[in-house]
Amino acid sequence: MLRVLIVDDELPARERLGQLIAEIGGAQIVGDASTGLEALEQTVRLAPDVVLLDVRMPGLDGIETARHLSVLQEPPAVIFTTAYDQYAVHAFETYAAGYLLKPIRKDKLAAALAHAGRLTRPQLRQLAAASGARRRTHIATRRRDQVSLIAVQEILYFQADQKYTTVRHAQGEDLIEESLRTLEEDLGTDFVRIHRNTLVNTRYLQRIVRDADGRYCVLLRGCATALPVSRRLAGELRERFRV
Amino acid sequence: MIGPVRSQLPPRPASSDRAFRGGDAFYLPNFCASRAAFAIVVVAELTAIVVSIARSAAQGFWSELALSSLFLLWVGLLSAALLCALRPLLARLGEQRGSSVALALMTAVVAAVSAGVFLLGQSHVVRAAGANSLFPRRLGPFVLRNTAIGLVIAAVTLRYFYVTHQWRRNIELRAAARVHALQARIRPHFLFNSMNTIAALTRTAPREAEQAVQDLADLFRASLAEPLETITLADELEIARTYQRIEQLRLGERLRVAWHVEALPLDARVPGLLLQPLLENAIYHGIEPCPAGGVVAINGERAGELLSLVVRNPLGARARDHDGNQLALENIRERLMLHYGARALLKAGRFGEEYIVTLRFPYLPAPAGGARD
Repeated sequence: MLRVLIVDDELPARERLGQLIAEIGGAQIVGDASTGLEALEQTVRLAPDVVLLDVRMPGLDGIETARHLSVLQEPPAVIFTTAYDQYAVHAFETYAAGYLLKPIRKDKLAAALAHAGRLTRPQLRQLAAASGARRRTHIATRRRDQVSLIAVQEILYFQADQKYTTVRHAQGEDLIEESLRTLEEDLGTDFVRIHRNTLVNTRYLQRIVRDADGRYCVLLRGCATALPVSRRLAGELRERFRV
Repeated sequence: MIGPVRSQLPPRPASSDRAFRGGDAFYLPNFCASRAAFAIVVVAELTAIVVSIARSAAQGFWSELALSSLFLLWVGLLSAALLCALRPLLARLGEQRGSSVALALMTAVVAAVSAGVFLLGQSHVVRAAGANSLFPRRLGPFVLRNTAIGLVIAAVTLRYFYVTHQWRRNIELRAAARVHALQARIRPHFLFNSMNTIAALTRTAPREAEQAVQDLADLFRASLAEPLETITLADELEIARTYQRIEQLRLGERLRVAWHVEALPLDARVPGLLLQPLLENAIYHGIEPCPAGGVVAINGERAGELLSLVVRNPLGARARDHDGNQLALENIRERLMLHYGARALLKAGRFGEEYIVTLRFPYLPAPAGGARD
């Protein structure tokens, strides 16, 4: 039995998928969700094999939700559903992501379920870029089997180690597996690289100072740690942000 | 129109939106361009001919024409130069005050040139040449008469420019309204989502499905109507309610619409699809992006012969791009303009946590077709 989670903000759309899956057989609905966040929680709790994910939802949209799902230990397969999103559909075609057009047909749904595959994280990244999705609004982190989301505007900085990246945010610190380069590309101009291993949220930039050894450091609002700045970037930063 | 298709538009005449805000839509032509300057020369010459015919007794027609032409070309070209330089300022003053200032300006130019001619006549050079017979003898009457003629002719000229401008803009607006109506049939997203909803309902709630199919059909029929036709306000409110019913199925409790339109006279004639696109935008931008939904408030009021419709929605959780929104507003504005001219108004903008669109238009109980032209 294929275990399926249905995610759509509209009740009739969820009902329709439920009806069709019941008729198809071979699959079982383990739960449903009406927002991206709920979808994440349900996925962690219920460990479905396949998530049917609406592209256009309030809050986290389908594509961002899929990206967050992909950080799970055992991410489910994803099939997107959409009424009409030219760009998204084009992107699904390009990156071989499973998708269904509404109104959803039973035979198409059966075929999609039979072939549902996992999308890799790089695949999802490209998909997000190609579908004209909004910039990421959250970063997902995993603590044991618990997924939590950190709003991008609450993040002070990212700092890369050998293997992991530390996210420093309003509520504390977390580890993620994404590289600084990926994050930098995803988050755009709201974040700035101040050092080989540090990416800083520009909205918290306060001041550039020199420490006791004469090295440049950045002070962030709401953060006691002074972050080292590479000499090359100090002048540029000062000019760009008048700090 | 059930919301504009978000597609690339072909370039269209500069119209509508700016037409209401002055700027380029100001009726005075740009006198820095040769065509308008030529028009001024023609007006000056025609006036010269009229004046010369009227007073040809004194010096013979041709010499009278030569003198008047010389005088009037100075007046005309000086006025054109001034209007060219001051056009942005006049446009900012608006049609009425701008026209008054332009009129005063042109009259002042006539007076100044007249005075100049008189002073030239008094100069030594002219006296030495013995040409003072060509110049006016007394300052007062000369300036006064010219100024009076100048005032009349300037007024007629301004009126001419105004009427031509209105006529041209009307044609542009009609063309634009047709184009837009063609493009703006239905938002595909809405269509497919509704179909999906109906597919779900056919099994669980056949009666609701039936109702939804009928509603969708009515909505389509309304969107296929001739864009310049008027319907009663009662019908327009019904179309908006039909649309709401379909969206309600999809969005459930997230969509709440507060109707306060009891004050509106239901027999008023309005261009079709005036309110429905506004409701659609409010839902698309204000309700759908919010997980918890929200309230769209529709208020109708009547103040004497003026009706107003105000649609308010909460700002979405995130600011969606408002292209579609702008397109719909522009379309409504154009149609209001065509039906009511300058007596109608559309305002839209954010106010605090809300997005508010206000329509104001005169109460026309009788069919408005025909009477417009």
